[in-house]
Amino acid sequence: MSKMNRRDFMKNTGALAVAGSLPVSLIELAFADAKENFTLAYISDSHIQHIKGSEFVRNWDRGLIRAVAETNLLTPKPDFIVYGGDLAQLGTKAELDHGAEILSSLKGKVHHVMGEHDYYLDLGAYWEKLFGPQHYSFDHKGVHFVVLNSILTHDEWTFHRWPTPEQRMAEMAGLDNPNGSPFMVGEKQRAWLKDDLAKVDRKTPVVVFSHSPLQKIYKGWNFWTEDADEVQALLKPFEKVTVIYGHVHQIQYNQIGNISFNSVMATAWPWPYPTAYKQAEVYLPKLTVPINRADPFHERDATGWQFINLASGNADLHYTLYDNQRRVVAYNTQTRQPEDTQYQAPERRIPPQNHY
Amino acid sequence: MTLKNIQIALLGLLVWSYVGMAAADEFTDEDEKRWMAQFDAVAQQGRSLWTSPALGSNGVVCAQCHPNAANTHPETYPKFQKQLGKVALLSDMINWCIQNPLQGKPLELTDPKLTALQAYVTWERRGVPLAPGKH
Amino acid sequence: MKHTPFGFSLLAALLYTALAGAEPLGLPPVNIPADNPQSPDKIALGKKLFEDKRFSSTGEVSCSTCHDPVKAFTDSPLPTSKGIHDATGTRNAPTVLNAAYFKRQFWDGRSPSLEDQAIHPFVNPIEMGLPNHEPILKIVRSDPQYAKAFKTVFGTAGEAITLTEVTRAIASFERTVLSGDSPFDRYYFGGNQDALSPAAARGFQVFLGQGRCVSCHVIEQTQALFTDHRFHNIGVGINRIQDDVPRLAGAFLEAKARGADVDVTVLSDRKSSELGRFAITDQFDELGAFKTPTLREVARTAPYMHDGSLKTLREVVEHYNNGGVSDTKTRVNDFLSGGIRPLALSEQQKSDLVAFLEALSSGPSQESAKSAKTPRSKRP
Repeated sequence: MSKMNRRDFMKNTGALAVAGSLPVSLIELAFADAKENFTLAYISDSHIQHIKGSEFVRNWDRGLIRAVAETNLLTPKPDFIVYGGDLAQLGTKAELDHGAEILSSLKGKVHHVMGEHDYYLDLGAYWEKLFGPQHYSFDHKGVHFVVLNSILTHDEWTFHRWPTPEQRMAEMAGLDNPNGSPFMVGEKQRAWLKDDLAKVDRKTPVVVFSHSPLQKIYKGWNFWTEDADEVQALLKPFEKVTVIYGHVHQIQYNQIGNISFNSVMATAWPWPYPTAYKQAEVYLPKLTVPINRADPFHERDATGWQFINLASGNADLHYTLYDNQRRVVAYNTQTRQPEDTQYQAPERRIPPQNHY
Repeated sequence: MTLKNIQIALLGLLVWSYVGMAAADEFTDEDEKRWMAQFDAVAQQGRSLWTSPALGSNGVVCAQCHPNAANTHPETYPKFQKQLGKVALLSDMINWCIQNPLQGKPLELTDPKLTALQAYVTWERRGVPLAPGKH
Repeated sequence: MKHTPFGFSLLAALLYTALAGAEPLGLPPVNIPADNPQSPDKIALGKKLFEDKRFSSTGEVSCSTCHDPVKAFTDSPLPTSKGIHDATGTRNAPTVLNAAYFKRQFWDGRSPSLEDQAIHPFVNPIEMGLPNHEPILKIVRSDPQYAKAFKTVFGTAGEAITLTEVTRAIASFERTVLSGDSPFDRYYFGGNQDALSPAAARGFQVFLGQGRCVSCHVIEQTQALFTDHRFHNIGVGINRIQDDVPRLAGAFLEAKARGADVDVTVLSDRKSSELGRFAITDQFDELGAFKTPTLREVARTAPYMHDGSLKTLREVVEHYNNGGVSDTKTRVNDFLSGGIRPLALSEQQKSDLVAFLEALSSGPSQESAKSAKTPRSKRP
């Protein structure tokens, strides 16, 4: 089967509205009581990049503009929208302002997640002014949502190593830069998380939004959070936990114990899987069916957004991939793990193309 | 000139010709190391260009989409490149990227920068078998 | 029926090439479906059907009314086609030339084959306006010439003749309507350096390079179809409904869910028409997207784009040069396809590009089209 279309989605979820194909990640939380169902849209990693004056890199601008316009077409309307971090490329006011202006067209409440490209110039000061605190939690229709800043690192690196904030930002902006430093949630925030979760019933579905994966995938590109194990331990007591992260610019999913992990796409550009870099050891989660190599001639190829359905408190992500087959990664209640609804079985996969 | 002097001169001539011939088919580990270092210096220039906004005009750098030159697959060139409409060289594709995502001016085929970029990209794929024309 | 001597000689030449499997320079072999093999009689029958005006409610419109062989199988210079009672549609008639190579038919690709495509215009209320296909079957079953031809071609007669045979014959004819061996082909594939003017040769480099045209209008190492068989929002048409897209998209989907005929809606409602391929696939990333057309004979098929809104090739070049807007003051469409961006072409590059586009015609030159009475001499 090809793309899951809007009407299939509606059929499957029993939603009333007609329009169903979404360009943004839409997350739907579906519960036994259909009135409680809700969806969220998820846009991430736009990397708005300032050139000079009023000029910005058009390619990244267009990706975000398109995702915003498509999100506004969603029917039913998502209850809220999450922006997954890396709105800016080098964390400047010009970039954050420009990104915020594009996002201001979104119809609905937006929750923001901090990315390293937003942070390392002024350690999040201007971002906070625009979007609020760097970590927080909220409850919505029976789900406990937690937003973490997972891209912090050692104080020594942050405060003492670099002569200027600009250089610190530049060092962290390069994905494959050996001068970078591993991401972490950090002790202070973990203590906060522990307190926050102490008030939550263990049967309540918990959804965590972070920028970096709260699991260890590939340290060389910071597809990695140094204190992931400690964070996972805090989440362990809960029945249903989903971690949704950006940063990796590709589809990934995994199941570790009670925790489902799902990544979201970038609107700016796709990244190759670490497997594409054969000199490196591969840590891509076994479950993940990779998407094909992006076609550089199609600027939006393998970028996009997702539409997420948290049926029974577990996440089903509907990926809207421009110029690619749509993908749905849903929690399989039989196998108790996220799976690609179309392509999980090896014989059903789209043969990998190695063009370009 | 004494006989001894002539002998010395002849010996000198022999030594000279011996040295001259030796370079053609004999080299030392030290030579190899030095030559590799020559390559490394150029590949290193390539890595610098790979992360340099100066290659284009909009600040975008190669490494943004290609960390560690991933997904460049230099071992597959020359190959038919769909939207260049022809069998292309790696240098053609590098220039395409410079002109498009980076919005810069293409490099002359003789530009040492193009050599350096190719040296770096190929270095990242060392050990991977050649597969020309592969799609 | 309109038979110009040129039409006959062209048909003869096309028949020869199609049957011999020797496509004009620059074109790949035409893919012939296993269930509809070519034969000279079938092709001739298809041509007759293609030109028969009786297959319209007024008896005045045939396929060739909007796909006129003399106008490179379009109705140039009409911006959008005129059907019965001069009713105006929403789309510019695409050429039939090289339609044999398309993977999907119509501007929005709503038809998967030439055979399927031929079914629809007969019964579209603003094209040929028949209430259903019965009047066609009545004619082909009773007209002695048709009866004889259907017997020869399909071995069927009377009630056994169905719409399937009719559309197969039309499709067979259309598979012979090819355009290749243009000055460009002789230059690029034939190795004749003199086949292109210096301006056109420079324009070719713009087409491949800074103009980025080849990204969608594909040229390959041994052939050039000038299409990627894909659908793109290039900022034409959709700009007129930009702020109305949420309402229109929603309303269209609702209407479709209630069973509205997509074919009728997109050809009669000017605004819904601009939704493009979205109307077919319901995919947001195909909002305002239309098929990449061939560029062959493009100098003979003005005006341009799915809505015929750009009058000249120069205007087309300007539109792309501006990054997907004809007027630089217009807001760039939110759903614009990736890859459309300002090109910063010089005036010289723009003129050269137009010169190149003008070198993609192999059909009758403008002169011979005007004096169509003189049979066209066969190419050397």
